[in-house]
Amino acid sequence: MYAVTPMDAPVVDVRALRKVYRVTERETGLAATFRSFVRRRYREVLAVDGITFHIDAGEVVGFLGPNGAGKTTTLKMLSGLLYPTGGEATVLGHVPWRREGAFLRGMTLLMGNRSQLVWDIPAADSFLVLKEIYAVPEAQYTRTLDELTDLLDLGPLLHKPVRGLSLGERMKVEFAAGLLHSPGVAFLDEPTLGLDISMQGRIRRFVAEYNRRSGATILLTSHYMDDVVALCRRVIVIHHGVLLYDGALADLAERMAPYKRISVTLRGTVGDLSTYGEVVSSNENLATIHVPRAQAAERTARLVRELGDQLADISVEDPPIEEVIDKVFASERPLAEAMA
Amino acid sequence: MVRYLRMFRAFAASEFQFEMEYRGNFYLSIFEMFLVIGTSIGAVLIMFGHTTTMNGWTLPEMIVLLGVYYLIQGGVNLVFSPSFERLMEHVRVGTLDFHLLKPVNVQFLVSTRHLRVVRAADLGLGLVVVIVGLLQVGAQIGVAQSLLFALSLFFGVMLVYSLLLGLVTLSFWFVRVENLLAIFWAFTEAGRFPVDVYPLWLRVSLSTIVPIGIAVTAPANAIAGRMDAVGVALLGAGTALAVGIASALWRRGLRSYTGASA
Repeated sequence: MYAVTPMDAPVVDVRALRKVYRVTERETGLAATFRSFVRRRYREVLAVDGITFHIDAGEVVGFLGPNGAGKTTTLKMLSGLLYPTGGEATVLGHVPWRREGAFLRGMTLLMGNRSQLVWDIPAADSFLVLKEIYAVPEAQYTRTLDELTDLLDLGPLLHKPVRGLSLGERMKVEFAAGLLHSPGVAFLDEPTLGLDISMQGRIRRFVAEYNRRSGATILLTSHYMDDVVALCRRVIVIHHGVLLYDGALADLAERMAPYKRISVTLRGTVGDLSTYGEVVSSNENLATIHVPRAQAAERTARLVRELGDQLADISVEDPPIEEVIDKVFASERPLAEAMA
Repeated sequence: MVRYLRMFRAFAASEFQFEMEYRGNFYLSIFEMFLVIGTSIGAVLIMFGHTTTMNGWTLPEMIVLLGVYYLIQGGVNLVFSPSFERLMEHVRVGTLDFHLLKPVNVQFLVSTRHLRVVRAADLGLGLVVVIVGLLQVGAQIGVAQSLLFALSLFFGVMLVYSLLLGLVTLSFWFVRVENLLAIFWAFTEAGRFPVDVYPLWLRVSLSTIVPIGIAVTAPANAIAGRMDAVGVALLGAGTALAVGIASALWRRGLRSYTGASA
């Protein structure tokens, strides 16, 4: 049912992938517009600058980076929509931009900001067209659609014109449309974009369950860290087209944020706590202190000992993942330098 | 081949659903069609009130030609022009990506994905006009002649298709090509008259640059027995060449799209 690759070969294999765009450039103003109409000036933009990574079968990997980092460009190269400027990649053993039938049947690309369904007809009718395009056998089609209907609660949505669906409902049918042919690899580009919290949760649970049931390999980009935390044990971080981090999500904070966060609740008002670490916030009886990672245990012990009865509650944790990522992206220096 | 036919059937079914969503529009289109065909037959009748032949074409032959014109227009408007309209939108909005992800011939997909089912009525009415014209001509139509007619009609539609494909392919580079298409449709209006009634410069451009003149006149000639198998074969060769050139241009356009789009 799913595309088969040798067990030991990575499903996604990317080596030194590069993409340079040639974009037209012009100044503002009517005269400049006219000049650029007659003779265009071009500028080269380096979108992806030699990234290398592998993804094994069945993995769910988060692909992180701020806007313009090169995430979508990479996904488009991996799904065969763009020719790279340099480097190599294989997905399911195929070179994506050759657009071979077996490759296209084995993968899907879902984009949170673009829809492939025809607006004016019910999704069920668009599904029938997709069934023919992918030549999905009748029995398999029925089985897959039943399963997706069950997982996504599609029942009442399939027979309404798509334009009548809410954003969240539409995303659910988009998911079903993209997965009808049971792809072995799914590239998800911002699948929860613009959805409310409960629908985001719904989509997340679906992706996790789909991965568990089908064993499909998933590469996911998202601006919502909750998506990544809920779904991905491994993350790949890129910034300015360069790979900054590839590893366990759990280690990301450790590697990128050299501090821990201690939150204390006191019975009275907070006094001066700056001897314990950097006080990042304090009001009335609550305070948050950042301390160097290595000294977290010792500082905590000191706080407990010295504050004694004044202390109502204390917790030590990694800084929130958003904060870590923010810090990384805000710095212009490549991380390799920052970590050196 | 069977797979592509099945796909086309699915497209047609889905588009039929679409048109049924807008029933008012459906009836209006049918009304519009009667109006358009009625007035152009009227114009021909008025013209022939003053003369009996036009550069060798008699009134019944002109009616046949008009019928052929609507058959060709109907064929093109049934499948290709609605599909191409969507294609230009896809290029602008960026949803062409979804077509490129499909494991099928992309040119087939973008040329046939959308239909305006109501235009099938044009085909029907065009056929009626052709038959009425032929009855007036009073000629005996043999099997061979009908076959040549059907073939040249198919070639005519494909000739217009190749030109349309070439034009919409330009949207890869210029994004908005609606104006070019408007010029194209204005030219096709000229196809209502036999290509040989026009002055030389227009005759040449109607036969080469915008080959609607050939596309319409050839089938009308074929059924009237004025075009033999050799002529139809030549037309077929020309059409194959035109479709080949348009497809090559399309593939180039696609390469530039996947090479540069963000």
